Amino acid sequence: MVELLPRLRRLGRVLARDGADADDLVQLTLERALARRAQWRPGTSLASWMFRIMKNAWIDESRSRTRRGGVFLPQEAGEGVGDTGAEALDARLALGEVERALARLPDEQRAAVALVLVEGLSYQEAAQVLEIPAGTLTSRLVRGRLALAAHLQETAA
Amino acid sequence: MTRDERLFAYVDGELDAADRAAFEAEMAADPQLAAEVALHQSLADRVSAAYAPVLDEPVPPRLVAMAATANDEASRGARLGLPAWAAMAACLVAGVLAGRLAWPQSGLLVSRGGDLVARGDLATALGAQLTAEPGVVRVGLTFRAADGRYCRTFHSARERLAGLACRQGDHWIAEVAMPFRPGPTPDYRTAASDTPPAVLATVDRLIAGAPLDAAQERAARDSGWR
Repeated sequence: MVELLPRLRRLGRVLARDGADADDLVQLTLERALARRAQWRPGTSLASWMFRIMKNAWIDESRSRTRRGGVFLPQEAGEGVGDTGAEALDARLALGEVERALARLPDEQRAAVALVLVEGLSYQEAAQVLEIPAGTLTSRLVRGRLALAAHLQETAA
Repeated sequence: MTRDERLFAYVDGELDAADRAAFEAEMAADPQLAAEVALHQSLADRVSAAYAPVLDEPVPPRLVAMAATANDEASRGARLGLPAWAAMAACLVAGVLAGRLAWPQSGLLVSRGGDLVARGDLATALGAQLTAEPGVVRVGLTFRAADGRYCRTFHSARERLAGLACRQGDHWIAEVAMPFRPGPTPDYRTAASDTPPAVLATVDRLIAGAPLDAAQERAARDSGWR
């Protein structure tokens, strides 16, 4: 499991967008993997299994953040979504061009792009990690990468 | 498949041989399509390159300790005939939490109160081995930190672990520990040694003066690293 840590941190970096949040996500993933280790089937990919746990932890985290935001920070509602949020994030993190473009993608497209382009999974593996049909994966990949290309051309122009 | 789906499947190597050949024939006849393929190929390379450096960053010790604990529990589970978590464990380091010290361990690091403490072969090597002497664990370089502690870099091909530990009291505390990938990976075959870049960065952060030479290192060891 120690051997997988660098890859988990890398995937976490794309999903959570922020280094500190990414490591919190890795920690949550390790906690869950440890608690559910009996569910892993020997002979299957440990990396894919842990990526799936990370994906679910990330979705749960995002949901609870949205909930907290909705309850406690009504004036700021909406700030964390869309381009405004992405711009605030840019300023705070001084991300590179590619990271910035990726951070602007909707979560589900970013996850598909992360698994295929960053982690190098096959479409089949990525669809299994995300627990979605193959057709859904390819359509998210297509939309995500067309948007990515558009964002990057915008910055280049 | 739509036109774009085929395009990306081609870029990602997801088409079978026949579809690939057909697609390449279309590309040869359609410069616009070929240009789009080239654009998305370079985009894919940029995305993967942007995140590649994360793999060489030092992993925060709290995460190493947690994953190590998982390995430890794994070997324990296997011994008890519980589900085959053992196969899952990379068995790189085994963490031991307080109260479980009686369990036989083969790990190099133990997590104690938030610190990663060297044990077993690692503790032995750090305490006794001189730089470049052979062993399961090899010591890279030895130096004094600005706060006066002796610190040593180490790596173990067998245990797949690299890092840097400093002497505190009677223990060596790991300042950084990370997976070590043995073999001719260019990133890890730096001119100086087998030391991963992230470990060298920690050396730069801590070191006061120059690394110890062989005579100084021997003298420090013989006086118990005090």
